[in-house]
Amino acid sequence: MELFDLTEKLCLADGTSSDEADVTELILSLLPSDVKAYVDPLGNIIAEKKGRATPKNKVMLAAHQDEVGFIVTYITSEGYLRFDAVGGINPEVVIGRTVHFKNGIRGVIGTKPIHHQDTKERKRQPEIKELLIDIGATDEENARQYVTQGDTAYFSPGWQEMGEGYLKAKALDDRLGCAMLIDLLNSELPYDVTCVFTVQEEIGTKGAITSAFTVKPDFAIVIETTTACDFAGNEGDKRVCELGRGCVASYMDRGAIYDKELYRLAFERAKENNIPVQTKTVVAGGNDSRSIQVSTGGVRTIALSVPCRYLHSPACMIKKSDVIATNQLMRIMYEELCSI
Amino acid sequence: MDLNKTLKELCLSGGVSGDEKSCAELCCRLLSQYTDDITIDSFNNVIAHIKRGKDKTLLLDAHLDMVGLVVTYIDEQGFIKFSKCGGIDGRSLFAQTVTIHGKENIKGIVSVLPPHVKSKSDEIPDIGDMVIDTGYTKEQLSNLIMYGDSITIDSEYNELLNGRVSAPAIDDRAGVAAILYALELIKDKECAYNIDVCFSSQEEGGEVGAKISSYKLNPDIIIECDVSFAVTPDDKPYECGKMSKGVMIGISPSLSRKMSYRLIDIAKEENIPYQLEVMSDGTGTNADVYTVSMGGCISSTLSVPIKYMHMPVESVDIEDIKSTGRLMAEFCVKGGI
Repeated sequence: MELFDLTEKLCLADGTSSDEADVTELILSLLPSDVKAYVDPLGNIIAEKKGRATPKNKVMLAAHQDEVGFIVTYITSEGYLRFDAVGGINPEVVIGRTVHFKNGIRGVIGTKPIHHQDTKERKRQPEIKELLIDIGATDEENARQYVTQGDTAYFSPGWQEMGEGYLKAKALDDRLGCAMLIDLLNSELPYDVTCVFTVQEEIGTKGAITSAFTVKPDFAIVIETTTACDFAGNEGDKRVCELGRGCVASYMDRGAIYDKELYRLAFERAKENNIPVQTKTVVAGGNDSRSIQVSTGGVRTIALSVPCRYLHSPACMIKKSDVIATNQLMRIMYEELCSI
Repeated sequence: MDLNKTLKELCLSGGVSGDEKSCAELCCRLLSQYTDDITIDSFNNVIAHIKRGKDKTLLLDAHLDMVGLVVTYIDEQGFIKFSKCGGIDGRSLFAQTVTIHGKENIKGIVSVLPPHVKSKSDEIPDIGDMVIDTGYTKEQLSNLIMYGDSITIDSEYNELLNGRVSAPAIDDRAGVAAILYALELIKDKECAYNIDVCFSSQEEGGEVGAKISSYKLNPDIIIECDVSFAVTPDDKPYECGKMSKGVMIGISPSLSRKMSYRLIDIAKEENIPYQLEVMSDGTGTNADVYTVSMGGCISSTLSVPIKYMHMPVESVDIEDIKSTGRLMAEFCVKGGI
């Protein structure tokens, strides 16, 4: 399957942290028969594939299965659902949205109308805890026939090709990374490889802790999407990174300071191979690297990411050429780290 | 008539104030089952006459425009600035997928900073500071869109539980659907009046369409069929009706009391669920225009209760549209004014 078809399939699946089962099943179904895959107690998929040679170093590639979403915490007597975000979601991308549950029930999130808001209310973004999901239930008993506390809800997938070579969907963070790893496992490889599809990244990179322990790699490459703010209103460093300028290699985020040698190597190899590469101009965010690099006595780690606008919203937007660049650099770096 | 199907078609037909053509054409098609005498005027008002050989004429009016946005500027990098067209709730716009109705329909996203870099502030930026991202450059866009093109939010038609539905433009396609439902019910019945129908444009911008259509129509009686507020837990119950509790009959100093009472009587006689919408001044609907147009006419409002008005997830109970349509139909038949 082509990389972007894989991505679409994966984005349409639903799986917030600890509720990734549907995504896990889908990923397993997309792996070729020569891949030995194991699902650990947390739900991480650890997938091993033999290459033409046994590498000098064991290299692990990681992408996370989970996406940000919502969890029902309470059902009101009137049949509305109180909820919280699973992972970091700002309330401004929640109001006025449709969500769906895994059983197909749909809900909407609204507030009292603008006509009944005072000036202060019109200027203030309510917190997620103040909001309610409305599934059309008439009362609590009616709602409970369809939804229970702990059920997870999701943004509409909204897969859409946009502009010149752009894509938009929910959950590109990090189904795009998953798609690249599946694509790798479906290729003929020079060296043995271990790919992990981690769970619970969005609530503190939990899956990365156990999968890195089990795999015990010498090197790790985290394949991610990362914050791009290259839209109007943000100048200079505030743009963080830019769509169309290639793969993002990270030196530091809020979870990790990356191996300097590997960071430099990524830039060198990208330049030699004419692959566009950039880095971020703001130290922000974090990913599975934070857990992987402190595992089992230390793992030298790099993160290669696709720049993505509007992360953690229903409309994540990426440029296809950046995915191709990241995919190329990932393959070059994996091969190099196997024998470095 | 499959009301759900009709409503879906209506809600997904676009039609921001001043750009109602797509919806107006759909309305013509839907009305053509009931009369051949249908026109779209130069302001996108859809006007239909159903002659029943009576002395008096009753006008059923609902507005066909919806709230949305309008392109005001394209910056050097191709980001689109926009303004409100009608009172859309600005808090619900971020990260919405939108359609810009240019030479082609172009998809865009309303830009928003992600939580990873956003400073803690619950203050909503001014709409003038928001932009739409299409993935096109300024040059590419110059061949596709113009300043002034209308923009709709891409919300879905969602069937919720218990016959409730969430969709764009429920305000006032629910009213349009109620009138069509009433016409279906009176199709083969003797009526007390000739029936005029107006689906009027630009209501959200100050009842502009009605100001124009009211000069062309000369009804004796009007029923304005708009939407009103259904209470939600964060709203004041005393300023709202209730969803699923039936049509809201308007009582207001600017409406005909006699007419409102007549509608209440008919609702009682026919066991149509209804609730009262008491207003202390104008109604904020096209009724305010029609009532005082030319020599004046007897008017009342029948409103469909909806939740989340002017947000992309406006919600309605189909049964409330039905009770609104039924009461209108019964009045067409029974008259009494």
